[in-house]
Amino acid sequence: MNDSKLTRAFDNDWIGPALVSLVAIAAISALQPSFLSSFNILVLLSAIAVNMLIALGQLVIIAVGQMNLALGSIGGLVAISFAAMMEIWHLPPLVAMGGGLAIGVIAGMASGFVIARTGISAFIITLAGLQIFKGINLGITEAQPFYGVPQSVKDFGNVALAGPIPWLVLPMVAAAVFMWVLFNRLRIGRYILAIGGNRNAAELSGINLDTTVIWAHALSGLLAAGAGMMLVARLQIGHPAIGEDWLISSFAAPVIGGAILSGGHVSVVGTFFGVVIIAIITQALVLFAIDPFVVQIVLGALILWAVGINRLREMRVARAKA
Amino acid sequence: MVLIALAFAVFASALPGFTTPFSLFAIGRQIGIDTMIGLAMMAVIVTGGLDLSVGAIGVSAAMVFGWLCERLGLPLAVSIPGALLFGALLGAINGYTVVRSGVHSFIITLASMSIFFGVMIFLTKAEAFRGLPPEVAGLGRLKLGGKVSALLAVSLAACVALSVFYRFTTLGRRMLAAGANPRAAEISGVRTGRMIIACHALTGALAALAGLMVTARTGAAVPSMAGQLGQDWLLPAFLAPVLGGTLLSGGRVAVFGTLLGAAFVNVITSGLLQLRVGEFWIQACLGLILLAAVLADRGRHTILRRRGLV
Repeated sequence: MNDSKLTRAFDNDWIGPALVSLVAIAAISALQPSFLSSFNILVLLSAIAVNMLIALGQLVIIAVGQMNLALGSIGGLVAISFAAMMEIWHLPPLVAMGGGLAIGVIAGMASGFVIARTGISAFIITLAGLQIFKGINLGITEAQPFYGVPQSVKDFGNVALAGPIPWLVLPMVAAAVFMWVLFNRLRIGRYILAIGGNRNAAELSGINLDTTVIWAHALSGLLAAGAGMMLVARLQIGHPAIGEDWLISSFAAPVIGGAILSGGHVSVVGTFFGVVIIAIITQALVLFAIDPFVVQIVLGALILWAVGINRLREMRVARAKA
Repeated sequence: MVLIALAFAVFASALPGFTTPFSLFAIGRQIGIDTMIGLAMMAVIVTGGLDLSVGAIGVSAAMVFGWLCERLGLPLAVSIPGALLFGALLGAINGYTVVRSGVHSFIITLASMSIFFGVMIFLTKAEAFRGLPPEVAGLGRLKLGGKVSALLAVSLAACVALSVFYRFTTLGRRMLAAGANPRAAEISGVRTGRMIIACHALTGALAALAGLMVTARTGAAVPSMAGQLGQDWLLPAFLAPVLGGTLLSGGRVAVFGTLLGAAFVNVITSGLLQLRVGEFWIQACLGLILLAAVLADRGRHTILRRRGLV
């Protein structure tokens, strides 16, 4: 076929979402010039940075063919622990950050361990995890936020690094690059994808299923911890409700980015554009003063649309192979 | 069953206020509602799928009920079936999308949860219907024989109806067959796709009924009654059937098990509450119970398999 080059370009997971992002940016900025004001870009990038970590936290679990409902509650637990360590024990932010990341990894590993050892569906285990972590969070805070966040942390979440680029972009870039390297260059990343793609084949070829699943969940917990602490920096308080609304967007972005939910196929770049699309839509609805609840409807519709597109592409690939 | 009796006995002896008629009435009412939520989820677990949107459907149906009653002034005999039909319709939409797209129901209902809830909030402007006929709140307060909540009786009736449905009707048996082994069911002439849609519609109708029961308890149709996106219903929805022995992979139901599961959870919850454990820690306890329940279930299966019984 003479259009094979074009077809191949469109088979790249991230091309579609990238085009949608560009068109959306162009259209919105034409209608509302303040969309490209440097303040608005700063807000937009901050939202993208946090949501990218959330999405990557879910992406690694999608890659292994599971789902993590506890992502938000791990993020929330780490967020309030991070704030509490600084307020009550007066730990320096970097030490508290290390503690927060450790909590995230341990919480993720605990989920992963139970799932791997018992073989019970990840859905049920992480639903239980969601309740447990959320319960601990509320038990500690009694639904009251921690206000004693040091100025340096607040600055990290709200001050620009250069021009309209916030500091928060740094952890996002680090996480995105790391995940890309993980899935494309590192052995553990390939193991994760192999298990998601074909569990039996992966086991027969000598991959240790249990260890890999536990590592995937540990990584997911780490990313959730990062996102939770970034939100503490941005909101300037350790709010117990952090993480409650992560569920939908954490699935929406990877799916828009072309991830196949049964596992084995994910795209870090595609996920990035998925996050960008969601951020743009959310922001545009705010700019045009549209009812915030419409965001929910749009997010749901976006997931269905992306699932439809992925399905069509899958079918085309299957036909091409046949 | 033994566990419930045990937990009940422990709390009853430790807490003098536990067996007062009011306490029993309150627990029974909550058991009734949780059972209905659990049954709603069970109806779709049968297919090996799940429905994250039960809460959203339940709230939406309750709001439709409020609208029919209050704005249109329709009698209860019309607005109750209307709300149930509406729930069934939303469920059928879920089922249709799942069957036609071939995507797992998790992601479809994740999306529809957000769509249903968003549309509901958008249309109601997050305002409750408070001018419902007094019969509605009356049903929530009604005590049969002085102690038993009428809502618990509704759930009991639903349990009986569902047991008969799954055991003795063709449709119910076909649903189970389609869930246990879709390919075998298809070969023996069951239209699997239609069965899955029917299961989702049943889930929707039961979720709507649960929504109406919550409405009866509060005496008003409140948009926030199942929390953000209806997520507050998710745990009771899975806890009761899983504790009751429904297989998550589909094909087997435990209708009365679901009732017992809901009873167990509520006896423990209210017991802990009265022991002043602190309501925030109870969430963590419920999570642990779910974990323990699935582990116990897994353990039972392993033992059965070792003895060659499965």
